Amino acid sequence: MASKACHSCLQLPPPFLLPRAAFGLVPKRGIKSISTPRETRFTRGKGLPQLEASTAAALERKWYTTPLRTGGLGTKKGMSAVYNTETGRRQACTIVQMDRVQVVAHKTRQRNGYYAVQVGSGWKHPSNVTRPELGHYAGHGVSPKRHLVEFKVRDEQGLLGIGETIGASWFQEGQYVDARANSRGMGFAGGMKRHGFKGQGASHGVSLTHRSMGSSGQSQGGGSRVLPGKKMPGRMGGHQVTTQNVKVVKVDEEKGIVVLNGCIPGPDGCLVKLSDAIKKPWPEIPMVTSDAQAVAEPLRETT
Amino acid sequence: MASSAPILRPLSCWKALLRQSRQQKMCIRCMATAQTPVKKLRPPPPLPSSFPSPYKLTHKGHEPAKKIKTYPPPPSARNKFPTPLVDWTAQHLKDIDPTGSRTRLFAKDNKDAPQPGDILLVTFKTGDPFSGVCLSIRRRGVDTGILLRNRLMMTGVEMWVKIYSPNVTAIEVVKRAEKRARRARLYYMRKPKHDRGSVEGEVEEYLKKRRLIRSGALGIKDPTMSTKRPESSRSGVKAR
Repeated sequence: MASKACHSCLQLPPPFLLPRAAFGLVPKRGIKSISTPRETRFTRGKGLPQLEASTAAALERKWYTTPLRTGGLGTKKGMSAVYNTETGRRQACTIVQMDRVQVVAHKTRQRNGYYAVQVGSGWKHPSNVTRPELGHYAGHGVSPKRHLVEFKVRDEQGLLGIGETIGASWFQEGQYVDARANSRGMGFAGGMKRHGFKGQGASHGVSLTHRSMGSSGQSQGGGSRVLPGKKMPGRMGGHQVTTQNVKVVKVDEEKGIVVLNGCIPGPDGCLVKLSDAIKKPWPEIPMVTSDAQAVAEPLRETT
Repeated sequence: MASSAPILRPLSCWKALLRQSRQQKMCIRCMATAQTPVKKLRPPPPLPSSFPSPYKLTHKGHEPAKKIKTYPPPPSARNKFPTPLVDWTAQHLKDIDPTGSRTRLFAKDNKDAPQPGDILLVTFKTGDPFSGVCLSIRRRGVDTGILLRNRLMMTGVEMWVKIYSPNVTAIEVVKRAEKRARRARLYYMRKPKHDRGSVEGEVEEYLKKRRLIRSGALGIKDPTMSTKRPESSRSGVKAR
């Protein structure tokens, strides 16, 4: 024992008085989620199941719903309608314009723990971009972008080449997409508007509390406290909302227009993230843009 | 009792020990802080103005920042087509209304355009024609529509008709309002006091007259071809 030698030369108190750290017998403490699990005779050996709390297990769980290819960025321009000339049916539609959407960087499993494509859209004057960010763009040979968004992909086959442009034709007419955008901000809203509370009566002695939320819980017996997550007035809207399975009605590569069926979240002019719908079969579209189509072959659903 | 206390209390010697050390410490401090004559240093001679300061040369903060290369943006669809919604509407209207007759019929600058208060007859590709008093015209590009009100089977019925719908085959003006309505939306006509009631009688009369004109029995030119707003309250402006 090392502490014995120390005792003799430095005149330290007997070992049982020393702090326990000197023994090396104290179990290593740390944050469970970031420190690797301790090796014991139960965790060692082959054929043991994968730890469910690991990154690898999480990626495997999400494997089925992770898109094969990256999505695109657009701006919501407004809503219009389309008439089907055969059936005469009218369809409301939303027009999204894609502007200078390019792949800026990649995220890889080895380096970042997951596969993703960083996509930028628009353009920002270099004088308005900070030097670290400017270096990021310069390092990848891409012009500074107004918006930067990451799209997760399943594996390295989905990593579209850096600098490649994602136009409107990245999506196909008839395919389904998921549209994500920040919803319209409502500001500080009451319980009736925010959560659909009924409010209180207009009469029968109700005074000045017609739209108030009422009680927030019991008193003695219910714990005399407000339970966590109680729906209350507060900030409403302005958070990301996803509309799933939106059909692509029309695509115009030249104008950068993607016409979507129905409505999508957000006000006009907001940034819209479009990606292949995860609840529909993956579209059979080449995984590369038109510029590089000759190089790579289309990738199809493997399952 | 008092004499045995220091022996019984082993820590009592600390007091004497500490007192001694304090005195020693004071002595040390006195020695260390004894004043010594300070040798005054001369400031260095000023450098000639032509000679740049070596400090300035080596200090990083004074160096100009290294320029980061920026790449030009690719061609922009947004700059080239800044109004995709307008373009889309125009293109779609061209597809569903190739002759532009519907657009012209409800154009704001068209003096013969149907107005709120007129009785209109709409025929559809499928189903019965619908007629009624026009309560309002909503001009919204592709979504432009008219609101018609009639009474069918003793019940007031209203119907929004989208003028560009491919199901609409024709929109005809059965009867002009005798006086121009002073409102854009005649929702007051829903009240019993102002309700126009059934317009079937006027429509029947119009259809009868149209049949006669078309057969040539009256020897009048088909009013559907006329572009002027007729003086009489009865007229027939039609778009197919």
